[in-house]
Amino acid sequence: MDRVVVVGSGASGAHFALTALQKGRRVLMLDVGHTGREPVNPNDSLNHLKRNLPDPAAYFLGNRYESLVLPGHAGEYYAFPPAKEHVFRTAPEFQFRANGIAPLFSFAVGGLAEAWTGGCYPFDSQDLSQFSLAYADMEPYYTRVAMRIGITGTNDDMAAVFPLHGGLIEPLDLDDHSAVLLERYQRRRRKLNGKLGCRLGRARVSVLSRDLGDRKACSYSGRCLWGCPSRAFYTPSITIAECRQFPQFEYVSGLYVDHFRMDAGGRVRSVIAYGSGGQPHEFEASTLVLAAGTLGSAKVFLESLYRDTGRAPELHGVMDNRQILMPFINLRMLGRQWNPDTYQYHQLAMAVSLPESGQTIHGLITTLKTALIHPLVQTLPFDLGASLSVFRNVHGALGMININFPDHRRQGNIVSLDVESAPHRAVIHYQPEPGEDARLQEAIGRFRKILWELGCFAPSGTIHVRPMGASVHYAGTLPMTQKHAPFTCSTDCRSHDVENLYFVDGTTFPYLPAKNLTFTLMANATRVADRAF
Amino acid sequence: MDQLERECRSYTQYLTGHPPLPYVIGKYREFHGEPEQAAAWSLDPFDQFLVEFSARGSYHASLADTYASRFRSGSALRKKIVLTLAILECVPPSFEKLDAVDRGGWTVTIARLGLAAFRYAVRLSISAALFTPFRIACAINRKSRQPAVAEP
Repeated sequence: MDRVVVVGSGASGAHFALTALQKGRRVLMLDVGHTGREPVNPNDSLNHLKRNLPDPAAYFLGNRYESLVLPGHAGEYYAFPPAKEHVFRTAPEFQFRANGIAPLFSFAVGGLAEAWTGGCYPFDSQDLSQFSLAYADMEPYYTRVAMRIGITGTNDDMAAVFPLHGGLIEPLDLDDHSAVLLERYQRRRRKLNGKLGCRLGRARVSVLSRDLGDRKACSYSGRCLWGCPSRAFYTPSITIAECRQFPQFEYVSGLYVDHFRMDAGGRVRSVIAYGSGGQPHEFEASTLVLAAGTLGSAKVFLESLYRDTGRAPELHGVMDNRQILMPFINLRMLGRQWNPDTYQYHQLAMAVSLPESGQTIHGLITTLKTALIHPLVQTLPFDLGASLSVFRNVHGALGMININFPDHRRQGNIVSLDVESAPHRAVIHYQPEPGEDARLQEAIGRFRKILWELGCFAPSGTIHVRPMGASVHYAGTLPMTQKHAPFTCSTDCRSHDVENLYFVDGTTFPYLPAKNLTFTLMANATRVADRAF
Repeated sequence: MDQLERECRSYTQYLTGHPPLPYVIGKYREFHGEPEQAAAWSLDPFDQFLVEFSARGSYHASLADTYASRFRSGSALRKKIVLTLAILECVPPSFEKLDAVDRGGWTVTIARLGLAAFRYAVRLSISAALFTPFRIACAINRKSRQPAVAEP
């Protein structure tokens, strides 16, 4: 039987592989495959963990204090929790240089989505029109993935922007703060929907509100940020574990895939990967599926072309969602006690249409509960003693909106290969669209008005425009198109340059709506496998 | 009791009103021994003075931190107090105290926030009067010690 070689075990690779296996295919997955530690004391709630662990500071701050955020640091509000350190651990063979963007890479089993926040927002017909796809083409795969992984959601105002597909399960219990926001929205709905163009509703999140297979429903332990101890929260490594149940699945870790070799007919013949000692391994492939993430797959593709032709072309159009973090205080929650035993990621989502720029912007609302407090307390304009006293009484009132902006392919945004360096480096150049500042300011102004209408205010000094690359929503280097052109793919994500080569990650997306792309990555990879085999 | 333990005791008392557990002191020491973190503790004479002053007790820590919050926000003193806070929020019983909300509705909370701001303003005035002359003296002293650059 022909062997399909899949490179990468992230959200795309995992769902492609599972679908191919379910269709009886033989799959070899090659991966660097960093792994993390097993959850400690899985039955403990967050506060019990603090009481029961022998060295709780090492668990929450890291053995080398890598999650400690000290005054004077530049960058994000929070460092990554120690339990997710493996997700961003590098592979020494992969080198890159970036300009205008600070990309993150993952070489972990499950990829970047091992550290995601679970937002599952389908692209609608308008989004997909640029893919030359209709929503009807994607809906069965959104449904199939929802049934595989478990996604909570309901038919509310968000359905106008995020189509309702099958397989949704009932939402989790709302935390108090989110409930207050939703209740206020219901009362101010007319104004919010009309003048402010805002729709608010329950988030679509990949977490179980009821048992699914051997995974148990969310136990509200409050440990989401440090890694769900019960697998109620979905990450792609769960699908990789499911793939391993198939006898015709082979997973080989500890290998960095560098390039593929082609035969005289221009078809992929084999894949070359390097082990940790630098020794090469060659694997025959009848079909090659690159799912190493947009930038990782681009590097493999460019390296392969260079070795085959001596040319190192540029891939144009790399995209990323700009994000803004907007902390806010809900006046009605001031002085109220908060409950740590709740779901910690976003439970509400909003969509806001901005008529001036013609954009629809997506916001995820997280109410802050069990996140570490020292990174925030130090930002208050008092001494730390007073800041702590203030923070304790506003803690239950704090929230954060993560605002996502769409992105378009532009010629000047390039991934190329630096063949002068050893090893060859990926070179990523990104420049925001002209006029971005005005659009960001328009959105910030609108969101502040919406928050005010919801009984909240957003202190202006705390609004943080995240650097490009922080969203890790990279896409667009070999876009799908119906036109047969070099460095593009078909709508079934088959390369127009190499016949037996598929790209199933964000590489083929010709447009990035203001939505987390991960759910569409999984659904599209499932669709591609379904149509290819 | 060495300097690091004095600091940890003073900052814990300042933040929680209670002395630290041996575990907290141990973690505080451990962090200072991390080679990767050594850069955080490079002290100029005024930073050194603030740290030594703050280690005398919780009131001293409060005054020094108030001054640093406005005039030396990235100083070693602030880093040391944030480190203490980060450790305290991970361990019992201090995390419970740090998570507790004072009784009263939102009007009481607003009043408390106003009072906290007022107290801060008073402490800031006192600390500025206390530390500014010393800071100026440190700056002058450092300038006078810089070797003159010989003309070519």
